[in-house]
Amino acid sequence: MRIPILQLDRILLVSIQVDLTDNDAMQFQSDLVERVAAIEALGVAIDITALDVVDSYMARVINDTANMVRLLGAEVVICGIQPFVALTLIEMGRGLLGADCAFNLGQALEMLKGRIAKRGDTRFVGDEDV
Amino acid sequence: MNTAFQRLQRDRRGELLAAWQQHLAATFDRHHPHPPSLDVQREVLFDALLNTLTSGAPEDDFRLDPETDLARHLNRLIAEQARQLANPSDTIGALLALKQLVARALIDTNPQTPVIEDLLWLDRVFDGLSLFAFKSFVDIRERLIAEQSLSLLELSTPVLRVWSQVLLLPLVGVIDTQRARQITERLLEAIALHEARVTILDLTGVPVLDTSVAQHLMKTIDAARLLGSRVVMTGISPEGAQTLTKLGIRFADVISRATLRAGLAEALLLIDRRIAPIDEARPS
Repeated sequence: MRIPILQLDRILLVSIQVDLTDNDAMQFQSDLVERVAAIEALGVAIDITALDVVDSYMARVINDTANMVRLLGAEVVICGIQPFVALTLIEMGRGLLGADCAFNLGQALEMLKGRIAKRGDTRFVGDEDV
Repeated sequence: MNTAFQRLQRDRRGELLAAWQQHLAATFDRHHPHPPSLDVQREVLFDALLNTLTSGAPEDDFRLDPETDLARHLNRLIAEQARQLANPSDTIGALLALKQLVARALIDTNPQTPVIEDLLWLDRVFDGLSLFAFKSFVDIRERLIAEQSLSLLELSTPVLRVWSQVLLLPLVGVIDTQRARQITERLLEAIALHEARVTILDLTGVPVLDTSVAQHLMKTIDAARLLGSRVVMTGISPEGAQTLTKLGIRFADVISRATLRAGLAEALLLIDRRIAPIDEARPS
């Protein structure tokens, strides 16, 4: 199953709603990085509200994706981690999710916008594409 | 002393030389520029060769001494052709064509006496010559290649100063251990020289990012950081980002941007500078 990637200006939104198989995960990662590179995205919000269970594999997939996106020059925020999921992630080991987290999508977007505003490439005037 | 070849040299030298030159003009020279000096060089080589043939006895062993006139003339001719990027088979082919001509002339001038021993001697001489020619051809080419790769190495790792205290290191091509070390050295020298606070590492021109490249990059970045320079990486491709992450490589504390343009903006922010429109900057 392909995960849809929504675009909001130069921010991308993805919502993971089912457990991903190996193939799905690879597909998702390459789709997302291609997209980030194509539009030179400034931020990516990954929403996992719908996930009731996050095992170590899923955590790694999410973490890896965040790292890839960061290498491509975009900010990443993960949002919507359920209380129970947070508990199991902590029990499995700290640092399983290295990226920054937000409570819900709204806060994630705010966080992204705040960080994007502090970046050098968005504070540049006179460099916008016409 | 070899009488059969002596007779040949006395009676048919001019005829043989003309035949050889003619043959070369019809084959090899058709595809290549043909400076007049080449004819002279060939004639000198031809005479040196005939002298060698006459001076040896048919049962002698033949080994070409690189100090002899013959070897020197041959070397000079080959050097010229190697530099013109001629086909090696053409060069050797020219020698072998001469062998045919001489063998034919040898048989023609001695219709009664058997000349098998002389022919074998001729064969040995030309075998030795061909081996020598081939070796020096390859040597010259290899020297050329070594020179070129050295100059490529020099060319491909410039450290550019794009702003005061901002350095740009555009990486182009394959990065191996030797190049990586050279890049690191150059970069550190430049950072120290210009007191750079920010270094932009542009990877747009790196075709493959693998473990070894990533490790070299990490070393370069760490070294730059030890000198007190922040590193901004730019131009990583989507595939590159995936590979790096899957290899488990983390560039902690490195700012990464999609394009050199964004990286430059980031670098300027880090040194508290900005590019402003001319009107704004002009004092009113």
